[in-house]
Amino acid sequence: MDTIRQDVRYAMRMLWKHRFATFICAGALALGIGANTATFSIAEAFLLHPVPLEDVDRVVALVDSQPQRGVQNTPVAPATYLEWQAQANSFEQLGAYNWDGVNFTGDGTPQKIQDFLITPNFFSVLGVQPQLGRDFLAEEGQPGRNQELILSYGLWQRRYASDPKILGKTVKVDGKPFTIVGVMAKGFDYPMSAEAWLPMAFDAKARVERDNRQLWVLGRLKPGVSIAQAKAEMLTITRRQADTYPDSYKNFQLRAMPLGEYAAGDLNRQYTLLLLGAVAFVLLIACADVANVQFARVSGRQKELAVRAAMGASRTRIVRQLLIESILLSLFGAVLGVFLAQWMLTLILSHMPPDIARYIAGWKTIHLDLGAFLFTFVVALASGIISGIAPSLMSSRSNISETLKESGRGASSGRARHRLRGALVVAEVAMSLILLVGAGLLVKGFHALVSVNQRYQPETLLTLNLDLPAVQYPEKSARVTFHERLLESLATIPKVKSAAMATTVPYANGGGASGARFSIEKRPLAKREDAREAIMETISPSYFTLMNIGLRDGRFLSDADGDKTQPVAVISGSLAKHYFADENPLGKKVRVGEDDSNPWLTVVGIVDDVHYNWLQKEDIPTLYRPYRQNPPHYTTVVLRTDGDPKVFVSAVRAKFAGIDRELPIYEVKPLDVVIHESTVGIGYVAAMMAAIGVIALVLASVGVYGVMSYSVSERTHEMGIRMAMGATGASIHRLVIGNGMLLTGIGIAIGLPLAFMLARALSSLLFGVSATDPFAFIGLPLILGSIAALASYLPARRAVRVDPLTALRYE
Amino acid sequence: MTESNGTLIKMEGVKKVFYTDEVETHALSEIHLEIHKGQYISIAGPSGCGKSTLLSILGLLDSPTGGDYWLNGQPVSKLTISERTRIRNREIGFIFQAFNLIGDLTVYENVELPLTYRGTGSAERKQKVQHALERVGMAHRVRHSPSQLSGGQQQRVAVARALVGDPLILMADEPTGNLDSKNGEAVMELLRDLHRNGATICMVTHDERYANFAERNIHLFDGRIVEETREVSVGA
Repeated sequence: MDTIRQDVRYAMRMLWKHRFATFICAGALALGIGANTATFSIAEAFLLHPVPLEDVDRVVALVDSQPQRGVQNTPVAPATYLEWQAQANSFEQLGAYNWDGVNFTGDGTPQKIQDFLITPNFFSVLGVQPQLGRDFLAEEGQPGRNQELILSYGLWQRRYASDPKILGKTVKVDGKPFTIVGVMAKGFDYPMSAEAWLPMAFDAKARVERDNRQLWVLGRLKPGVSIAQAKAEMLTITRRQADTYPDSYKNFQLRAMPLGEYAAGDLNRQYTLLLLGAVAFVLLIACADVANVQFARVSGRQKELAVRAAMGASRTRIVRQLLIESILLSLFGAVLGVFLAQWMLTLILSHMPPDIARYIAGWKTIHLDLGAFLFTFVVALASGIISGIAPSLMSSRSNISETLKESGRGASSGRARHRLRGALVVAEVAMSLILLVGAGLLVKGFHALVSVNQRYQPETLLTLNLDLPAVQYPEKSARVTFHERLLESLATIPKVKSAAMATTVPYANGGGASGARFSIEKRPLAKREDAREAIMETISPSYFTLMNIGLRDGRFLSDADGDKTQPVAVISGSLAKHYFADENPLGKKVRVGEDDSNPWLTVVGIVDDVHYNWLQKEDIPTLYRPYRQNPPHYTTVVLRTDGDPKVFVSAVRAKFAGIDRELPIYEVKPLDVVIHESTVGIGYVAAMMAAIGVIALVLASVGVYGVMSYSVSERTHEMGIRMAMGATGASIHRLVIGNGMLLTGIGIAIGLPLAFMLARALSSLLFGVSATDPFAFIGLPLILGSIAALASYLPARRAVRVDPLTALRYE
Repeated sequence: MTESNGTLIKMEGVKKVFYTDEVETHALSEIHLEIHKGQYISIAGPSGCGKSTLLSILGLLDSPTGGDYWLNGQPVSKLTISERTRIRNREIGFIFQAFNLIGDLTVYENVELPLTYRGTGSAERKQKVQHALERVGMAHRVRHSPSQLSGGQQQRVAVARALVGDPLILMADEPTGNLDSKNGEAVMELLRDLHRNGATICMVTHDERYANFAERNIHLFDGRIVEETREVSVGA
């Protein structure tokens, strides 16, 4: 301990002595470590604690996937779930939930609530109980008995002012009376964003359904049973189901995973891992920079190290001493990095819209915790070792006796040191190119996303959702009348140019647009699994014009398309291309679903495709129907306004109240806000990657500058000889810049193929990203090369100014 | 510690060849040498004759290309790097022409260095460092840094550093080379005093005056021992 204390004291003295270099290195490491700490905190929240519940490791999510279609998670049908429940022995119990949304009325302002239908044992599966009141009883899972609900803590606080006598109170849910039997604990909102839970009941028809996939199943493992064992058992069960009912299960494959992994989501995981990889690269680049500085520093200390060796310091001891210096430097960088990470996290958390944050598993648990500090400490230690090990080992190898001579330079390890420093720069350039390409592609993709939506002119569009309860609006005619009155009424608001409705507008509801199967007249399916699918939209005729969706052929829907006229549909260009490739679709007949009772719809028009969400890589076939022929319950209303849409909100609410005072409207937002909220996640990733790319570029440039600068100072004597021999300034320039560009060129040559692999991966993830983007693969290397040339030019300029006489005395 | 016959160092047929690209440079050839405990030996010769190379090999800072070398009865050719390091630390004290004090350490810390690497406890270190500095008359400068000392004072500190671990032999490489004549003579007097008190010293010098301080003078030329005189000189 005594000797370590001595080494630490000496190391601190040396760091202070070279404080300028110390601060530069600590700054570089702070960038790398800070970015890693911040990203780790995010990853920890997303990947390690997405569901902050006790004993959550024993809870397993059981979902189906469709590998052939690239669909990771698909819910299962009630019959499937009930069979699992009856046959599986690996679980203490299986439970299920289903997304839902209900209108709360009768006890205050009508409010749309995000609720979940759950099996009565759902909370037991998760290992939680209500904080107030009781859990659902088994019999409340019977049809007709499911009239109870449990509130989230947040809803209890907001809507009922934390009323302690809330239990037993009856509220109207979609017009039906429900009794509040419990309130969950503060912070519990699983599944994400839940505000209330209602019991799920299967009637006789539902219990045998195998194609109506709507249930997300969770199971609590029995003690001693592993996930692998449970999965093996479940695969046996699902294989048996597939053998018995091939039509319902063909192409589906069971996935069993810990609840945390399921809640984190594959996409979230992919982007989090991408960012973790990127910041790890940044840290490596910073380490390479610091290693280069350490090389320079220990080169100047060769004699000191030789003296220590002569006095009996072993090689290990010398390496230890130098490593202590670089670890102290890293720890200093880590302290700065923690502050930087805190700043980054504050920035990230404060810019995320709350409406989006509540849907991101783990978001609310993001903070710098003990885990993050431990991680930072380990990263700092690793950085210190990575950046210090090569200079330390190289220095400890030098020839003691040569170095101790008056003019000894320890030249034996000089060449190897040069090679290693050059290799470090090459690695820095390669890594920064990979990061730059990744960042460039993500930023470009994000820009493409923003651009593609500009055609809607979203900044003057107001959107809102409504859900007509089946109890109040059971008849089609009532829904048609409601929508007609509503659209007429909204259109009379001053400065509202037009009003329209659709099932889903682009990017609304997280970009989720529901698809359904459809049939084409006289073209029966060869195989059931080849089913045709399209997004089903029910719209008012003015929707296309209002949204600037262009007509390609035929006509738009019109007000004349009513209940008494021929059923019609307009299809998107992609549907026409996909299903009517060699024929004119106009006049052809299609039918929603495969049920003979549904009417054939005549295709009367083809319109441009709509980009629904940022994940969408290709156009999705879409089928539009007039609302008078298919009046919906759930609708998104869109208003084109003359100015800021937000100022129309109160007028819109007044119009709604004038038609149905009990009907809540929700998600009332301008479309540009909806789009922003929907793309904010990938926007974050793009912004973070851009920042990472710029940091990498700066660090790599510093690396090139540092190496060339040191090389020039080491070669002062050589430069003097060259100039004494008649070398011109231009030739010295060429010599130095040429060396720098050679290293940069090798780095780019190594980085390009790796960057191409990254680009291919990104192009499969994101709209607007091409794996062969010329800007990424020509422009960015040129930018990197130019900056490296500048970083080499500055030392070259210094080399040209060398006075041959002084340089020759330098020896 | 020494062999029964008092031989501390024995070399037989030692040679050293440097290989640079395709050029072989024979720095030492056929060196036969014995140094007994308590002897004061000087190695003299013109510049480039191999004096420092021989001293480096004697001090285990370098290895011979051929021949045999026993230090304190132990053949050194088979020693591992860590064993050589340990012997350097415990049995050899170095004094260099350029002093080679570490500029970022104080006088005390410089002298303490060999004991630190030996793992000596702090209290014992303190006592030994104090004693060594007193022997060279530098005890009053413990907190100074080398840059605050004159050349002669720096070399005294270097001598203290060489002495502090009670080595079997002191290896001095041109100890007066960077000093003026007054300081040079003072350092030589110091070495003579140490020798009188029992220290074994092997010194490289090209200065005949200082070579005569030793009781044995070896003359090197082109890497070979060409002459050896054994008369004890009184010195200038």
